[in-house]
Amino acid sequence: MTESSGDAAFLVPGTVEAAVEALGAAGAVALAGGTSIGLMVGQGLLAPSVLVWLGRIPELSVLEEEDGGMSIGATTTLAALAAHPRVRATVPALADAAASVGNTRVRAVATIGGAVGHADPRQDLPPALLALDARVEVAGRRGRRRLAIDELIDGFMSTVLDPDEVITAVRVPLVVGRRSCYLRYTPGSADDYPTVAAAATADVADGVPTAVRLAIGGAGPAAYLVPEAEELRGVPEGRWASATAEVAESAARRADPVDDRLGSAAYKRRMVAVWARRVLERCLGAEGALP
Amino acid sequence: MKMHARVNGSPFVAEVPATSSLLEVLRGAGLTGTKEGCRIGVCGVCTVLVDNRPVSSCLYLAGCADGADIWTVEGMAEHAPSVVDAFVECEGMQCGICTPGQIVAVASMGPDVRDERDVRHYLSGNLCRCTGYGTIVEAALDAQARRRDEVAPA
Repeated sequence: MTESSGDAAFLVPGTVEAAVEALGAAGAVALAGGTSIGLMVGQGLLAPSVLVWLGRIPELSVLEEEDGGMSIGATTTLAALAAHPRVRATVPALADAAASVGNTRVRAVATIGGAVGHADPRQDLPPALLALDARVEVAGRRGRRRLAIDELIDGFMSTVLDPDEVITAVRVPLVVGRRSCYLRYTPGSADDYPTVAAAATADVADGVPTAVRLAIGGAGPAAYLVPEAEELRGVPEGRWASATAEVAESAARRADPVDDRLGSAAYKRRMVAVWARRVLERCLGAEGALP
Repeated sequence: MKMHARVNGSPFVAEVPATSSLLEVLRGAGLTGTKEGCRIGVCGVCTVLVDNRPVSSCLYLAGCADGADIWTVEGMAEHAPSVVDAFVECEGMQCGICTPGQIVAVASMGPDVRDERDVRHYLSGNLCRCTGYGTIVEAALDAQARRRDEVAPA
């Protein structure tokens, strides 16, 4: 279906293949929940020649568990993610991140694909998905491929996707016993973007971490992983407090924040250390993790 | 584009640009109960239901509303009468600007929204500058209780 309206066409493909074809047109922009694109069009920040709405492609709305992972269709809404019993039970960091975005109306239509594809560093989902070691599945003229979050997002509101590529799903590994936590710091209004956000996953066997991942959002051009979190592997509980504090300082050193209304760069860097330590302590099960 | 939808239960057809906002389309058709506030999806006065989901109609593109089942405050007496009754009886309003959005937002609440904390979280994106929220929250809790009673009469 093609509808022309002034100089913008509005396409509603019914399949991924048709969407890829439509996105091949010069100036085409993919649209899902529209909470960001609708805002940018309304504000005159974006004047696409073609809008390709992904809301009528059945393949993109499937959420299913499959061998060792959960495949979440790209147009799954944040409200659906936050309310999904299996998502909440298996990857609470993702459910909490989804429940934190914007307000009720945003979550009702905004999608997981949009949340990663928009590549806004203040978004809640990228750090959570990075900590969870998720893969973003993409379809385009060159075929299908899978990318880690930090491979997909290569800078401030920028991705490596070709213009004709569309995000089809996000695949999250499910590992028995893995804990995951997401915390965001919003000193202003609860529905604001986070000043900083921190996500962690931990596998703990016999009271000792065997794998730990930490990711930070809001404190750089894109969410980033803190590889020093791996140093928590094998650390006994008695040393968690000092070890997590060291990792949190590494997280702060890796931050590359900017001054804006959410805080000064120096303030955000200090908050990275605070919230990285809190999310690690909570994830490892230490007492007194939260104020 | 020619937008075909159902609005408040009746067939609705409008010739509009696909990139116009649903808010413009509705108000242009005379449904001025839905208000324009911040125009950036923050304040909630333009809340309408699209396929039973609450959306900021100021951001929602007409193209995405094609084929949808849309309800506005004008249809709430039919779609969610217990919510309207609750707002009237609890006086969940003062100047009235935010009221259409508050009523529609409450009408979109699922049964999982039960206590005051749930209500305040759910409505945190519907701003009110008069009431201090007390009577709005009261109305929302009352509406949810009425709807529970309708589902499972005592």
